Amino acid sequence: MAYLTQPDYVKYICSCGQLKPITSLYFCRHCLKIRCGFCICHEVDSHYCANCLENMPSSEARLKKNRCSSCFDCPSCFHTLSTRATMAQPRQVLQDPAAAGDAKVESKQPKKMYYLSCFNCRWTSRDVGIPDQPVASGGWPERTNPHAARVNQLLDYYKAIALQEKQEKIERERKKFNIRGKYITLTDKTGLTGAMARNIAGLPSSESSSSAIASFVPSQASAEVEELPDDIFTKEVNLNQITSMPQRLASPEWQPVSVARLHPLAKLLSVKRSQRCRACDHNLTKPEYNPGSIKFKIELLAYYHVPEIKIISHEPVKPGATSALLLKLSNPTGHEMTLRLLRPEDVPPHDDRDEPKSIEKSLERSLNLDKDTTSFKPIERVPVYSATSHVTPPDVTLTLAQRDDAAEYDDDAQHDTNDIIMWRKSNKLALRLEVVTDETAEGGSPAVAKLALQYSYRNTVPPAAAASQPRDHTLYTTVILDLGTVSSN
Amino acid sequence: MALYEGIALIQEKQAVVLDLGTDYTKFGFTGEAAPRCIVRSEFWCPASRRYRRVHDYASADELYDNLVHMLHLLYFRHVLVNPKERKVLVVESLLTPTLFRETLAKVLFTHYEVSGVIWADSGRLCALTLGTPVALVVSIGAKEAEVCAVVHSCVVLHALQSQPLGARAVHAELARLLDEHAGAPLNLPDHVIEDIKVKTCFVSPRSRALQWASDTPPAPARSVRVGRVEVPGAARELCAEPLFARDAELASLPDAVLACVAACPRDVRRALAANVLLAGGGAALRGLRARLAAELRHLVTQPPYDSSLHINEFKFHNAPAHENTCAWVGGAVLGAGEAGAARALPREHYAREPRLRDWVCLLDNTPPQHPHRDHWDM
Amino acid sequence: MSHNVKILPGATVCEDCTLEGDITIGGGTVIHPRVTIIAEGGPIIIAEYCIIEEYSTIIHKKSDKQENPPKPLFIGAHNVFEVGCKLESPCGHIGESNVFECRSYVGVDVKIGSGCVIGAACRLTAPQTLADNTVIWGSDHHVREALEKQPSQLLQLDFLSKVMPNYHRLRKPNVHKRQPSTRQSQESSPKP
Repeated sequence: MAYLTQPDYVKYICSCGQLKPITSLYFCRHCLKIRCGFCICHEVDSHYCANCLENMPSSEARLKKNRCSSCFDCPSCFHTLSTRATMAQPRQVLQDPAAAGDAKVESKQPKKMYYLSCFNCRWTSRDVGIPDQPVASGGWPERTNPHAARVNQLLDYYKAIALQEKQEKIERERKKFNIRGKYITLTDKTGLTGAMARNIAGLPSSESSSSAIASFVPSQASAEVEELPDDIFTKEVNLNQITSMPQRLASPEWQPVSVARLHPLAKLLSVKRSQRCRACDHNLTKPEYNPGSIKFKIELLAYYHVPEIKIISHEPVKPGATSALLLKLSNPTGHEMTLRLLRPEDVPPHDDRDEPKSIEKSLERSLNLDKDTTSFKPIERVPVYSATSHVTPPDVTLTLAQRDDAAEYDDDAQHDTNDIIMWRKSNKLALRLEVVTDETAEGGSPAVAKLALQYSYRNTVPPAAAASQPRDHTLYTTVILDLGTVSSN
Repeated sequence: MALYEGIALIQEKQAVVLDLGTDYTKFGFTGEAAPRCIVRSEFWCPASRRYRRVHDYASADELYDNLVHMLHLLYFRHVLVNPKERKVLVVESLLTPTLFRETLAKVLFTHYEVSGVIWADSGRLCALTLGTPVALVVSIGAKEAEVCAVVHSCVVLHALQSQPLGARAVHAELARLLDEHAGAPLNLPDHVIEDIKVKTCFVSPRSRALQWASDTPPAPARSVRVGRVEVPGAARELCAEPLFARDAELASLPDAVLACVAACPRDVRRALAANVLLAGGGAALRGLRARLAAELRHLVTQPPYDSSLHINEFKFHNAPAHENTCAWVGGAVLGAGEAGAARALPREHYAREPRLRDWVCLLDNTPPQHPHRDHWDM
Repeated sequence: MSHNVKILPGATVCEDCTLEGDITIGGGTVIHPRVTIIAEGGPIIIAEYCIIEEYSTIIHKKSDKQENPPKPLFIGAHNVFEVGCKLESPCGHIGESNVFECRSYVGVDVKIGSGCVIGAACRLTAPQTLADNTVIWGSDHHVREALEKQPSQLLQLDFLSKVMPNYHRLRKPNVHKRQPSTRQSQESSPKP
């Protein structure tokens, strides 16, 4: 179970070694492994504006530099700006806009003029002198980067140099080989080179690179250094007129120092991400295209495939003693599941489980043109946790019924109790278990119990189309339980 | 470039330029004049419920995690592109720890599966933005100030100077002065001190600094009240003094500059002095340039420099970028076009040999004919 | 406390609000229901065209160093007190065209100029003087200077004064403007 404000009490160990609650994990149906946000591959799916929920195709997003064309952020507090309207007189549009509040009787029809205003910090576009727009959106002036021209010059210059180098290299290579050719070229016969022919035909010459190199002026250094103004010692510092660092860095191209030069920032788009398992390259989640929808087209979360363990209650943990623990297990899948609780040491290691399938898998891979994973070494680490207690696993195989949404309203809970099972209700099961703590556990240290789970999983979508029947697999998971602190005697 | 998209010209995806500084990270695309975002080099860690800095790490694994989270934030929150199959140009200092470089390479290649990475040092990139053949780049970052002489696109390695005189030194001094004035340790958080420095502080001219050091201190500048903190005028003026304080080791900033020039070959010394570029966020402090110029002009007439250096003028450049993005813009210029892309280390090469070429590593800088070449065993 | 509430003509004051002490409400002001105005430390004078929304509390606190006669708390014209805001001061002067956003709190010894905005849930407790056109916003109480005047609320005032009588019982104005012609009414007093 994962909480927003409380610590996570139950954590699962992902195949990459990280400890995460079940709500942060994914389950890859093809590799049959648990994956987490750290070990999967995230990809950008689509761009959209978080304010106006407008979808933007990626080419347009690239053009607009990933900014929305109609939404703006306040440069002072980064809240979203809203457009407000005033009635302005067309004749008096240059005067004090405060007088535009009341619509006076004028010969011309008062027009609606719009300005941007932030409701959080009360910044308005008029504060920096941006004139009001007659259209509600899209009319706001854009500023150009003062350095852009010089940087473009530099780019052209270096491109020209690179081109020249490449041409020289080609020339050198060519000179090595055709000093004496078999055939007489047109150039040798008539003395007319390609460049001259082009000139005569009137086509533009291909020597633009040399012009770029020739016309480039390197930066000029000057011995004159701007000194501090004399009044800096005596002038009063008006803190309200100086921008803070976040305000400056929000627009990297201009980085204004004075508040009067702040400009509304076009709102940065947000992305919808799709996630992919690194090992088998299948999608784990794929969101819907519509920005307003939170649903997914593909949603392979561990919450829907891996049995969930919740702690109902537990006795305080004492070093060297046994405490009781009540756990609730639930089966989220649509099939019956058989469960066993094990000690983490008893979980069979990786290789045994993978071996019988390896030949088939490599054949499949070569036939299906699966991703070449030779260069990919899975990011696996030994999970780091110090568990001072462990749960004594009962030696009984438990069966959990499948999840049946219609049966939720049925009240008859099956009462098959033995000393382990407390109650059973459709796909949920409550167990009473014992936690044995090491003697070496210190009082006051966090009490962490480890437990392994063996469960059967029916794969409804087999990876190879050849296998007609869904196969049953036995999967293992290790779970770490947070049981408060060890109480000292 | 935007026009061609309709004609479906096969254009390689723009590479991204990454400058992971100690305090601020600059990230954006090649071929553009400014980074898309300048953010603090920290990310929100939900496990420990606080902001973690990328450069606070105790082990290589922790650094790996930090870099993964930071890059995730940069790619998916700020530039909004897929990291896969896109080249990366990493702007770094020549003195970046090898662990950091190698871990960043591992993160980029194995975790994010980028198609190729170019590593470029900030000194050469700053010189690239000028277009001059010779440049002396004084880069004042957060942790340290580095003076790098770039002659015809080569760094004079033996003349490289580095001093821990970055923005952090200024912050420490400012905090000390504020504590002194208040009479009690204030323990202001880092961003508050930075805010105070950016809004109120400046570097006083050389003449005034001498007056402060003498017995008759001048009348201090006006004090300012920033929030609850009273910033005395003395603190405003003198917070950058550690950069210019000369001790027996002669380790101040102008000394580092002159030491670098002195260590360079004789024929470039005058050219270097006439092409000084101040880069890095720490160089944006008001009055720093003027003070550095004055100090240099004075120091060059003093021993030990008056006998070895015969320089009579120092000239300063203005890069076509703000000081904190100077190296980034150099990276953007380098990475644009095919020439930049050709310099990248492709992923296949890295998969075969997960090691980066480095100027310190003997494997990379012994010539092949050297008798000991075969004995290097790595 | 003597209840001496003077409501000038044109003011819209709901019957439901709690008015205690010596209060003068200027013309054109709209006072929503459930407002508490307590003038225990001295008289409160509210100028014209103010809007005081529900659950606002304006208290002229009784302080130890009480002057005699007690100085009034003067609230200038065109102020907006949004829902739930609280204003306490022993004496003072609130300028014109200020906006006290929802649940803001202005404590004792805070002098406020004109055109200021106290943001939502901001608390001003330390003694200070706010310069004109200061905006206080955010949970960190950022301060910035507003370069533009806040939009005027005249439209809102107009609307409220027309709509309020349809839904609430109002207190009748009890100060009549001196008529230029002949008879003076019983309780005429010059506008304070």
